Amino acid sequence: MKSMSLYVERESTVHHIDPITKLVYIAAAIALPIILPSLHTAWICMLISFVILGMGRVLTRSLPIIGFVGFILLTVVIIQGFFHVGNETVLFRLGSWPFYEEGLLFAMGITFRALNIVGAFLILVLTTKPSDLVESLVRKGLSPRIGYVLSSVFQIIPQMMATVDTITDAQRSRGMETEGKLMTRIKAFLPLIGPVVLSSLIDTKERTLALQVRGFNVKGSKTFLNEEKMYRYGSAMRWSMLAIVIGAVIWRVIA
Amino acid sequence: MSLIEVEHLKYRYPATEKLALNDISLTAEAGELIGIVGKNTAGKTTFCQALVGLVPHFYKGAYGGSVRIGGMDVKESGVDETIRKVGIVFQNPFTQVTGSKLTVYEEIAFGLEHLGIARQDMMERIDHALHLLDIEAYKDRAPFDLSGGQMQRMAIASVIAMRPQVIVLDEPTSQLDPQGSEEVFRAIQSLSREGITVILAEHKMEKLAAYADRIALLHEGMLIDYDTPSRVFSRSDLAEYGVEAPIYTRVCQAIGFRMLDMDTYPVTLEEAQAAYEAQHSAISASSQEEQGGRYD
Amino acid sequence: MIKIQDVCFGYNEGQDVLQGLTLEFDQRTTAIIGQNGAGKTTLVKLLKGLLKPTGGDIWVAGVNSKDVTVAQLAGKIGLVFQNPNDQIFKRTVLEEVMFGPLNMKVETAAAKQQALQALEMVGLADQTDVNPHDLGLSEKKLISIASIVAMNTDIIILDEPTIAQDAAGKRRIAQIIEQLSQEGKLVMTILHDMDFVAAHFERTIVMNRGKVVLDDKTREVFSHQDLLREACLDTPYVTQLGKQWGLPETVLTTEELISAMKRPR
Repeated sequence: MKSMSLYVERESTVHHIDPITKLVYIAAAIALPIILPSLHTAWICMLISFVILGMGRVLTRSLPIIGFVGFILLTVVIIQGFFHVGNETVLFRLGSWPFYEEGLLFAMGITFRALNIVGAFLILVLTTKPSDLVESLVRKGLSPRIGYVLSSVFQIIPQMMATVDTITDAQRSRGMETEGKLMTRIKAFLPLIGPVVLSSLIDTKERTLALQVRGFNVKGSKTFLNEEKMYRYGSAMRWSMLAIVIGAVIWRVIA
Repeated sequence: MSLIEVEHLKYRYPATEKLALNDISLTAEAGELIGIVGKNTAGKTTFCQALVGLVPHFYKGAYGGSVRIGGMDVKESGVDETIRKVGIVFQNPFTQVTGSKLTVYEEIAFGLEHLGIARQDMMERIDHALHLLDIEAYKDRAPFDLSGGQMQRMAIASVIAMRPQVIVLDEPTSQLDPQGSEEVFRAIQSLSREGITVILAEHKMEKLAAYADRIALLHEGMLIDYDTPSRVFSRSDLAEYGVEAPIYTRVCQAIGFRMLDMDTYPVTLEEAQAAYEAQHSAISASSQEEQGGRYD
Repeated sequence: MIKIQDVCFGYNEGQDVLQGLTLEFDQRTTAIIGQNGAGKTTLVKLLKGLLKPTGGDIWVAGVNSKDVTVAQLAGKIGLVFQNPNDQIFKRTVLEEVMFGPLNMKVETAAAKQQALQALEMVGLADQTDVNPHDLGLSEKKLISIASIVAMNTDIIILDEPTIAQDAAGKRRIAQIIEQLSQEGKLVMTILHDMDFVAAHFERTIVMNRGKVVLDDKTREVFSHQDLLREACLDTPYVTQLGKQWGLPETVLTTEELISAMKRPR
């Protein structure tokens, strides 16, 4: 089925870890390099994120995304290497253009941190079913309504895309040119908006009724079909990550 | 006391002048299958939604009279209470899919989760509903990947799992192909056999005639008739209400085949056949008599 | 008016929905029947040019569908979609119905004339200034039929025209089909309502698993109960009743059955 989720179904320890722990990991992975701004923390954190992706057997799946981000970051390296404000030590020359060590190190810091954050998010996105994530958040107190919106988006949007196709067909069928030049396509796009919005509004009204009679608005506590995904070492992991972050703060203050 | 008691129900949608429901009173007993017929603007959908409390609670508007299900007043109790006793299934199977669940099994759980049903109980109910609607085979499929008929049966299962005493079906097959309709009709029959009270609005008169215990004929928001399929479909003024009797009835009416010893016409293929045989044996009996007379 | 030769089509490679179809369509009103997944919708989309065959050729009024865009083909063949909400997008009924003719580069005055005639035919001539979305589903369906009729194509295809229609709506649609056919147009339909097919279409094509299994005069088709059952289809109720009562001929309408039963035997 058409779905917008990037989730990759694999059998791995990382997949078994609960979504909340993965969220805590993202927070820690962002916080640590900020608290300890040395280049070493940056590359160590990045390496850890990549190793976890590898353990989750989704490293190959994440390479295109990491590659794309890396390519953009390469431009940062080039620009900073040549033009960073604090540039002093020349590493090499490209023709008459000097490339500096300070700029390179500065850009490397940015690159490692950015890739670390991308990696940490990829761990969550690639190894967690969106529905599991939403369900854990609802259990932790997120409003079930927001939870519903978050999880239905993944399926309703592909459905809307299918409606767009049908409506395009209906308009082509009545002699509206939708193929060919860019301008023709843009002109064809505008009249689409009306029916698409309208048919989704009609759908929304009908769906609201359907949800209401399925108890969507019933007050009182909800139960869950799926048992809460508890990873045995989940809380130990969360506490130790917290400990590491606090440790880092203390280290930063005294050292 | 009857399970469903509707008394002098009147309703007008906001910003309109005409009554959508005009003084409807009827009762239905537990386990009955009630058909609702009428032309497109007769008020079938409005009546169906009044039974679950969506009228007036969702639409607002002016409301008079009362609907009581098992003694509970729908207007006073509100939708969230009423749905514990009455479930409703709509026309379009697509827009009833919540979209937040990845499998049919989870989809059926949606209502139960919101009602706060304990997990063990929930699974038993889902398994029973899957079995009743004959969709066990699809329980791990994605909801949007089902065919229309399968999707509509999933919608019914989702409501049935909530264990209502009454299930209201508003033209559940109007957007399905014959195979899908047949699947849904078979499912409705098994619900009825389970003792669930079914209210079914439908255009397919041949089906209603075969399955319904009683038929409510609506026109312009009013209840014109509420009787057995034979009596309602034998009415000579049916066309005035924009309703066509089953083909069997129309043909038999035109050629004067009545039900044996009754003033009504056949409404199903079987009844038409029985009426034909009765007619035939009457004719051959009389011609035998004639022949016998001659030889005497 | 339409000729299709050895047409194959598949949405995914290696899985052909249609397998080498060869058909010709003339002016007879034609119904295509078959269970879901038999390939009816795919066939209609191919005729309309919305899909292009992966093998074989389709000629619509002498034009090969591969050589033109859908919009260019729109003047020759019209398709009324199953769900009118997918099709309606103007503010008034008149504008909606004029949209097609205007796309065909018809002058505004003439387009209006065509639109009014079409609305007259479907019985909505007094609703020209109404917003289509204020009307009910069955009226919207009539508007979507009018907006195709207004384009004055020689071929009109109706996708499930009787869905969500009550008795009166069905009668109206039957009248429209008859009138269009009398004007010399080819009216085709995909339809699940067997009694409607029996009463209003001269030719019936039965599809099953991407192939044509029967293609004949409607009466002939509905006398093949066995073949229809193989394609998971039923004969019309009225035909079943006629068989049940032991009539030798295949009846297609209640009128036929009634007069057959009144006939002295």
